Amino acid sequence: MNVIEIKDLKFSYPGAKTPVLKGVDLEIEKGDFVAIIGNNGCGKSTLCKAMNGLIPHFITGDFEGSVQAAGVETRESDIGTLARKVGYVYQDFENQIVRPTVLDDASYACMNYAMKDYRERGMEALEKCGLSGKEQDYIWQLSGGQTHLLALAGALSLSPEVLILDEPIAQLDPHHADTIYEILKELNEQHGKTIIVIEHHTEYIGNYCKHAVLMKDGKIKWKLPVVEALQRVEELEESDIFPPQVTRAAYRLRTEGRLAEGGKLPSTVEEGRKTFADFIYTGRKENCGEPSPAGEKEETVSCENVSVSYRSVKGEPKQIFSGLDLKLYKGEKIALIGSNGAGKSTLMKLMVGLLKPSDGRVVLKGQSVGDTKPEKLSRYVSLVYQNPEDMFIKDSIEADIAYAMKVRNEEGWQERTEELLRRFRLTELKDRDGRLLSGGQMRRASLAIGVALQPEILLLDEPTANLDIATRKEIMKTLRDMKEITDTVMIATHDMQLVCEWAERIIVLSGGRVLADGTRDEVFGNRDVVEQVGIRPPEIFQMGKALDERAFCYTIDEFVHGFERVK
Amino acid sequence: MQSIKKKLSENILDKLSMDFLRNQVLKNAYGNDDTFIAKRDPRILLVWYVFFALAPWFVDDLPFLLGCFVLVAVTTVMAKVAPLVLVLFCLGVFSQTGYLFVVSLIFGGNAQTVVPLLVLTLKVASVSLASITVFSGLDPDRLSNGLMWFGCPEKLSFSISYAYRMLPMLMEEFQNVLLSYRLRGNAPEHDTLAGKVRYLIYQIQVIIHSFYPLMLNTAKRSRTTVEALEIKGYRYAAVNKEVKKMKLATLKVTYDDLLFLAVSFLWMAVVIFAGTLV
Repeated sequence: MNVIEIKDLKFSYPGAKTPVLKGVDLEIEKGDFVAIIGNNGCGKSTLCKAMNGLIPHFITGDFEGSVQAAGVETRESDIGTLARKVGYVYQDFENQIVRPTVLDDASYACMNYAMKDYRERGMEALEKCGLSGKEQDYIWQLSGGQTHLLALAGALSLSPEVLILDEPIAQLDPHHADTIYEILKELNEQHGKTIIVIEHHTEYIGNYCKHAVLMKDGKIKWKLPVVEALQRVEELEESDIFPPQVTRAAYRLRTEGRLAEGGKLPSTVEEGRKTFADFIYTGRKENCGEPSPAGEKEETVSCENVSVSYRSVKGEPKQIFSGLDLKLYKGEKIALIGSNGAGKSTLMKLMVGLLKPSDGRVVLKGQSVGDTKPEKLSRYVSLVYQNPEDMFIKDSIEADIAYAMKVRNEEGWQERTEELLRRFRLTELKDRDGRLLSGGQMRRASLAIGVALQPEILLLDEPTANLDIATRKEIMKTLRDMKEITDTVMIATHDMQLVCEWAERIIVLSGGRVLADGTRDEVFGNRDVVEQVGIRPPEIFQMGKALDERAFCYTIDEFVHGFERVK
Repeated sequence: MQSIKKKLSENILDKLSMDFLRNQVLKNAYGNDDTFIAKRDPRILLVWYVFFALAPWFVDDLPFLLGCFVLVAVTTVMAKVAPLVLVLFCLGVFSQTGYLFVVSLIFGGNAQTVVPLLVLTLKVASVSLASITVFSGLDPDRLSNGLMWFGCPEKLSFSISYAYRMLPMLMEEFQNVLLSYRLRGNAPEHDTLAGKVRYLIYQIQVIIHSFYPLMLNTAKRSRTTVEALEIKGYRYAAVNKEVKKMKLATLKVTYDDLLFLAVSFLWMAVVIFAGTLV
């Protein structure tokens, strides 16, 4: 039985020249777990909003064709009825939460639809989402992952047959991402819900989904079982979707003629074990990503016995660091990792002087940060926020990039602005407001703003969060280019592929202290650290380890070069 | 001495930070939900409030006003109101009438001039403290439910609780924008007096400029919120009497509520009685 039936759906937003959806036909069976994939702007979100009736009832536009959700023709129904059939969790889920306490938000929709047992329904939804015990908490006490679960619970409380999630794990650390998918799996298997996710992370698609739908230019290209879908490496890469690393490695080996033709490509580590069963580790061919063993290292930042605490709404202040010691040297490429709330952002704010330590001091180029005004410090150190919107304070990105130089009367600021626009490929967009750009453009603009004053130290907070893989690649490229502009770069991130491909030094924060500090091998090779903090090395690293304990392969390249088939 | 001075000025500067304000607003709204006042039925508190917000204006009897003042002062303490609100209260009262009272004392005012001023100050103070007790001691949700019971439109009560939901977000956004100005701007030196004045002007300019990005960022966020409210049936509920009944079903008058009213009543009776004796 089909729970979603879409026939020849065409839709264009008011005022737009070309339609977003150009004749979509799609059937989704009851009890399926479907991933919708496709590059940015191919109409994924629009399609999903057509399924729950927001289109055309709330967002109007030219609507043609028919959409049936759980047997109801959406066009002839209303949002209230449809909300009880199809639940929706947004990508920016925190804006979806409208009530101050957890239980209140979870049961809010049920109350609005006059369901007498709204409290019980809310409780039940919270329990299914693993939020039992948090009923009376205020929403700002929740972590990012918990907030997402609450948004899910809010949708679930109406007991819809279908749940749609728009990029559920884009902002979460791997541990929270797993939790979300485990819960979705349970809802799918135990409670018979049909789940539809818009997802870029093919590792999760491979592990959890049953079908994948590829969209391209407002049309459905195909709908296939996940195993088959992930085999189509070329087609996926064309749409900026990157199959799991294991699949890509196998694909590379096959095109190089080192893996037998025929048979299917593996999509999980487990399957990879079989495919690569007759491969052996031959050692590392190249030694990239290791720090150059240059003798004297010049110290640029040092934290000496730093303690920081935040005010809390209730009770004692929350201690973030107590007695933190850390030294950064000139020319380093540092990745700062640790779970949500480990203090990564706090450390960065300390370095730019936005936060003052309650004890100890932060020394930057021989000067104590506490005694220097942030305005002065911005010559040496610059911070690019996690949320690029907060970097835009003017009405065009050109003005934003120029601002810091202009107010300081830098010589030749006009030329430099132009050069930065060119370097970050923003010249065409220079008159647009930063907020109205796409995710990748926004991120590039925020980086350009960050380096405008040519700081020696650049701090980036989650530069690849919320980006699709293609945009992510683009940002990584920009990061590599950045070497010419700044000496020292530190990135706080959950993105282990970024860490492995880019960083020379990895600092692991946990519970307000440095748990590990060293090269990739020292960090990922240390099982205690990996388990304690719950960091997850890239899949390809796990694949290498699964085949040979001695293997340290961080990228597909290293894997392909490091393993050889036994004849 | 030098270090104490430094510490003091740091402390005061610290208090003026956005982070502190945000924390105080949150504390004020939700940080005191376990006090005796916060647990009261909102309807009872509103009735109580109507008396203490109106009565002082019509009575000039000093003992009565003193009695009112003492009572609302006690309830304010019980409500564990955030310090910032109290500071604002003191400033407010002083700027309204308090300074006249002090000035007249300094310039040799006698009891005849002082008493009317004291009466006025007490009136303003009592009414303000009663407001603080009710509006700051109750959490916004209970308050809006109480208002709804008295027939205020659903839109108003939703606005109150939604404003409190949004406020921390809005302030965080504002803080971030200000930080951007702080990091990338070039504030004038403020070691000399003239520099300090320039610095102040600069700060005000920055705050004004911050509104543009703040509004746009907030508008961008609220796009999702509006859609979510639609899905969650907010519009549906606004016209449904059943929903209103369900919401108000959570309100219950307890023994403690009646005790609260009784004690207040008794205290005022004693005060009035004492007033007739004088």
